[in-house]
Amino acid sequence: MSDLDKAIAQLRACRPIPEAQVREVCHKARELLIEEGNVVTVTAPVTICGDIHGQFHDLMELFRVGGDPPDTNYLFMGDFVDRGFYSLESFLLLLCLKVRYPDRMTLIRGNHESRQITTVYGFYDECLRKYGSANVWRYCCDIFDYLALGAIVLGAANSFPQPTDSTRSEEYYDPDIEIEVCDADGNVMSRFRRDNGTSGDSEQKSPNGTAAKTGPPGSGASGSSGGTVGNPTGAVLCVHGGLSPLIDTVDKIRLLDRKQEVPHEGAMCDLLWSDPDDIDGWGLSPRGAGFLFGADIVKVFNHRNDLSLIARAHQLVMEGFKEMFDASIVTVWSAPNYCYRCGNVAAVLELSEDAGGEGIFARSNGEVGRSDGGPGARGVLMDAENGALVKGGPARRYRVFQAAPQDSRGMPAKKPVADYFL
Amino acid sequence: MSDLQKAWAKNRLSAMPLETFDEREEEGEETGTVSELPEHVDDDSSSASSASSTGTVIPSPSQNLFARPQGIPRGRTLQPIPWITYFERELFLRDEDSPTSPTIHAYLTSPVDKGPLFVMHHGGGASGLSFAVVGDEIRKRLPAAGILSLDARGHGSTTIPEGEDLDWRLETLAADLLSAIVATEKEMKWAQLPSIILVGHSMGGAVVTELAKSGKLGNALLGYAVLDVVEGSAIDALQHMQTYLSTRPTGFPSVESGIEWHTRSRTIRSSISARTSVPSLLRFDEQPGDARPWKWRTDLGATQPYWENWFVGLSKKFLEARGAKLLMLAGTDRLDTELTIGQMQGKYALQVFPEAGHFIHEDMPEKTAVSLVDFHRRNDRSAMVLPPKVSDLLRQGKRV
Repeated sequence: MSDLDKAIAQLRACRPIPEAQVREVCHKARELLIEEGNVVTVTAPVTICGDIHGQFHDLMELFRVGGDPPDTNYLFMGDFVDRGFYSLESFLLLLCLKVRYPDRMTLIRGNHESRQITTVYGFYDECLRKYGSANVWRYCCDIFDYLALGAIVLGAANSFPQPTDSTRSEEYYDPDIEIEVCDADGNVMSRFRRDNGTSGDSEQKSPNGTAAKTGPPGSGASGSSGGTVGNPTGAVLCVHGGLSPLIDTVDKIRLLDRKQEVPHEGAMCDLLWSDPDDIDGWGLSPRGAGFLFGADIVKVFNHRNDLSLIARAHQLVMEGFKEMFDASIVTVWSAPNYCYRCGNVAAVLELSEDAGGEGIFARSNGEVGRSDGGPGARGVLMDAENGALVKGGPARRYRVFQAAPQDSRGMPAKKPVADYFL
Repeated sequence: MSDLQKAWAKNRLSAMPLETFDEREEEGEETGTVSELPEHVDDDSSSASSASSTGTVIPSPSQNLFARPQGIPRGRTLQPIPWITYFERELFLRDEDSPTSPTIHAYLTSPVDKGPLFVMHHGGGASGLSFAVVGDEIRKRLPAAGILSLDARGHGSTTIPEGEDLDWRLETLAADLLSAIVATEKEMKWAQLPSIILVGHSMGGAVVTELAKSGKLGNALLGYAVLDVVEGSAIDALQHMQTYLSTRPTGFPSVESGIEWHTRSRTIRSSISARTSVPSLLRFDEQPGDARPWKWRTDLGATQPYWENWFVGLSKKFLEARGAKLLMLAGTDRLDTELTIGQMQGKYALQVFPEAGHFIHEDMPEKTAVSLVDFHRRNDRSAMVLPPKVSDLLRQGKRV
């Protein structure tokens, strides 16, 4: 067993590794990350995860639900640290896994992977508490600067592969299933079909049960399986926060100089801080950093970059995931019962591998209105104006899970309430 | 450093006997108070200090900050700093139409041109001067800004008509705040209300949130900032409040000892802030044989029936009211579940100052000012330029 495997085993038991070893792991990780571009290319199948926030036991639950690395190919969209009580173990475990299985683990940067934020929201204090010095915090922060800003997932399938295992095969297999929501034990809770009809002829609810404006995936409206841009080659962009007014193509992300502390403004800041919202165009973010962006922004961006979906994290969603804007963007949140008290469930998003050759969807040629589509396939913007949905993304399986049973060990005693509070 | 300051520093150093230094340092160590001298030295060299801006407010002769050492050094370091150091004027505002309304005492520095007006509401037991130092720091960074800071009823120099009972309901306090703003507009003969940022500390945070939620300021309201109060933790803390109040001294032999108590107990962690705000918390009430004639102006114990009323529903109102929202806390553990969710959904801006105590704006006036000015800058409608809307571009026939 190599030192690295030992470190992984130790971290899996939620025990910190010695400072010298942290330094060594960070050094190796840096060598790996420095070679990565700002936007990492990942091939499906992949399991996409959102915020972790130091909830180590829930990360273990995530691995149980999603499959153990390296058997499962993981992509974490940042915010590994802060708020939870085990930021250190969580981040170091992910980092060790990255070093051990570089091709099976992708880590991108969240807004909490920053010196300034971690000094306020817990990671710094945790390092100080567990090591007696800020050295480990410093090593980790240096790694933060090298984390990629985004990832592109290629080769995701449009339909779920035919089940092979016996437990599943008794279920009716439908190649038109677009979304499948499973519980923590892999039982299917709900399925949403891609509808080949024109818009609005289905009463099916979105998996989130929210209003139609969030773009109920699988409702009639997402019936562009005729193939506007919904095609196996339409890539999925993963980024922690969202889009930036300064970034109109994925290539512009590649041009940024990312090896720095997250700035207070600018493209890099926006990618890590922005949120989608039900507005027209761009808006001011109430967070004090980044922007709000509306459906039109996402649709234009996806169309221009030949994306079928943007996956992002950053915002707590009580249901674990939330698709918006006709399923052109999805928020994935992977910290169940956030801060040990918010009562939310968590989710991971599985994109399966295109079985190959089943390309029933033609690739968009990138021109508005000229997609080689089925009935009703039109340009992105025209469709958007008609209120019709335009894009059937890749087949998406959400695995929803609850918080792991917590042991309270290691939790700092609750600070006494303030003396004076009037 | 200006020539004047250089000359002053030279004078001061030569006039100061060496022993004074030693004595003062020892004093600081023994009592745990912040030693005054280092702050002074710092003030002189820092561009962000009160020294460099006081010239714009008031000529220095009346500045106790820069008074020559007189008498014993300790007495000097605890000397009160008058409000005129920080504000342009004080106002006594009264709603003439309502005989039961209080005469609200407020401090004002007017905004210049189209500058914003920061309207401050202090917390329970404090006074309008709680925001004096931070107001000054704001104006150093945003010279066009105005500051309006009032004394709530039962606090400072605000008085209610004879025979009226003190009514400390949240709605009443919010109505007082609104009428003070309107009365100031009238008194100062402003053509219209400037754009307003409401800032409230603790109980005042509940008051400004109530006013923001009511929408009565209309479009004038740019945003509101709430300092170190969150419904969940405030309600939790309430049960300890009477215990806390009973451990406070009931009076002080002098204003200086009141200032000393505030700094030594770390209730207010900056001596400049304590020297500014504490005098307005105390009034002289001599009774025969009482060695501690300086009593609290506000009977906080008497406000207990209103405590829950101040805080219940605060988180919800804070999230729902229109306008930009800023929450400043002295620790992340102060967040309740509702605001934890709201924060992670990106509904408001959160600033945490772990080094500060409950009186964030008095403990760390500079950092608080930086946050508030930044908050204004981001939400300043006159300066805000968002990228063009896609639909507009399309309409203009542009390719997107």
